[in-house]
Amino acid sequence: MNQEDHISHREGMPSLIGRVAIIGFVGGVFWSTIGFFMYYFNFVEISAKSILLRSWLRRPWTDGWLGEVISILMTGILSIAVAYISYFLLRKWYSMWGGVILGAVCWLLVFIVLHPLYPNVPTIYEMQQESIVSTFCLFVIYGVFVGYSIAYDYYDLQIKEMQLNEKKKNAKDS
Amino acid sequence: MQKSKSKPISPKIEEVTRYMKERVGVGKSYDFGYREVVILKRKVQLYYVNGLVESSIVVRMMQELVNLADHEFEYKKAPEIIENRLIHEQVEKVKTYDEAVDQVLSGLIAIFVDGYDQAFIIDVRHYPGRSPEEPDTERVIRGARDGFTENIVENTGLTRRRIRDERLRHEMFKVGERSKTDVCIGYLQDVADNDFVSYAKERIQSIEVAGVPMADKTVEEFILGHKWSPLPMVRYTERPDVAASHLMDGHVILYIDTSPSVIILPTTFFNCLEHAEEYRQSPLIGTYIRWTRLLAVMLSIFLLPFWLLFTLEPAMLPDELAFIGPNKEGNIPIVLQILMAGIGVEFMRMAAVHTPTPLATALGLIAAVLIGDIAIQVGMLSSEVILYVAIATIGSYVTPSYELSVANKMLMFFLLIVTAIFKADGFVVGTLILLLYLISIKAFRTPYLWPFIPFDARAMARFLMRYPVPYVNSRPNYVHPKNIYTQPLKTNSRNK
Repeated sequence: MNQEDHISHREGMPSLIGRVAIIGFVGGVFWSTIGFFMYYFNFVEISAKSILLRSWLRRPWTDGWLGEVISILMTGILSIAVAYISYFLLRKWYSMWGGVILGAVCWLLVFIVLHPLYPNVPTIYEMQQESIVSTFCLFVIYGVFVGYSIAYDYYDLQIKEMQLNEKKKNAKDS
Repeated sequence: MQKSKSKPISPKIEEVTRYMKERVGVGKSYDFGYREVVILKRKVQLYYVNGLVESSIVVRMMQELVNLADHEFEYKKAPEIIENRLIHEQVEKVKTYDEAVDQVLSGLIAIFVDGYDQAFIIDVRHYPGRSPEEPDTERVIRGARDGFTENIVENTGLTRRRIRDERLRHEMFKVGERSKTDVCIGYLQDVADNDFVSYAKERIQSIEVAGVPMADKTVEEFILGHKWSPLPMVRYTERPDVAASHLMDGHVILYIDTSPSVIILPTTFFNCLEHAEEYRQSPLIGTYIRWTRLLAVMLSIFLLPFWLLFTLEPAMLPDELAFIGPNKEGNIPIVLQILMAGIGVEFMRMAAVHTPTPLATALGLIAAVLIGDIAIQVGMLSSEVILYVAIATIGSYVTPSYELSVANKMLMFFLLIVTAIFKADGFVVGTLILLLYLISIKAFRTPYLWPFIPFDARAMARFLMRYPVPYVNSRPNYVHPKNIYTQPLKTNSRNK
């Protein structure tokens, strides 16, 4: 029975699906916080709130710290969806390049495809060059965070299963 | 192949003498000695390397052998009688010259008896060395004060004293055609990943080199990829308690003879930022120490390039922080000033290592007065540069792993230069390149930036918070432990 306990790996840990959600949420929150600091230090002229809140809300609080916090949390929730997409498409590609592509695609989506949704944000042609470079870099590292983490988690699970089979086989043999 | 080449020991003692003279240079090489005595009417020769044997034991054994003639008269059974009278717990018999010579060169003694085709090997090793002391680089305020020494036997002993588990394995290998250095791989048999252990062994056995006088570093370079990476691919430690706690977590430890530091495999970037001190304080204090250390390390990499960026583009500073930036620009571009001051600090660091203690005070004086004060007065450096370089330098000294602190300095210089050339774009893209580089590295098949990227929530929480040990009941994931729990699962077993 004791042996059983040891074999059932990762007991008490959320399932893979849960971990994917955690990765997505933490990735969204962490990197949009970094994005806020980039906005504060004028690397970029917009922050998450410009897209997520200010595009449809004109209340004064959206411009303060509360707006920042809420939009950072919203990014985290949206990012869970990105994580699931990454899980379905990229989990078997155990390499960071999958993540780089994921990030680049997200950037294209946000700044070019979905741009008409938020008219208050300058278009890619109006944006300063630093903003373009900085947001692109931020999205790439975010993509790597989400995509590579999920791919590694999947790879790790594969190894665990292999160990488990080996153990079962040894138990049978002896 | 070596077996077939080695010559069997001849029963004629003259032949042995000749072989030893030709091959090993007995008589020429002053440290290879021999002694011949006649026991029971037979010539008996004893070979040793002076400086590696414990003389008092050898003398005691010779005494016993010489006295033996007073009681024994069965001349035909001489070899058996002699073997019986070798008063030592470790006596072995070998059949070839090569084996005998190898053993003698590692500090054992070989006894050849005329008319007998085997040699007795007795372990009377006594290596010159120091006793365990507290390692200089990993001091703690509380905690064990013993450290590894240059002697591999003592080192494995220090670990064994902390883990008296029958499942702890210490396997020996020999590396180096000439040096024949002992390399020992330590792991917990039922915890460490089989695949990983066999991979490590394979890498060690595939080393083909004349010798490894620089011990652990050379071995590391042979067994690991990313040979040009400035970052440490393994963690070194001189503390037996750190080594033992990593063994418990399912890591593999490599001991290399003649080196007082052992190699911990696999290692990650964050692993290099941990320090034994954190585990000696209460969990909350440990967490506080860790955060402070993390901040210092981050400053040592990012502070100078970040500040340089604001001196180049003051418009980027938010209004509240507009006071930052050099009040007096000075006569030299800021980036050159930072580089000069940074390299000056490197000079001092290197000088401090080599300076004899009596001169150290003078060195400190010169460094403080010259760089600190006069450089500003003559207009070479501005005072902000000194301040920020000093903070970054202290930050790099806070890094627990010396290798990592030097590597971080190189990363900082890289960022500094791209920032100077491309300004904001350079800083952002440079940081991205650094991060992607760190992510792409795999030290012994382990992602280097784990648990940050790839993200592992539980492990990251355990890095950011120093959890109380009773609450940490599982081993880190990245070593793929076969047995993940360090404590019985209380809630589950009760339910069942």
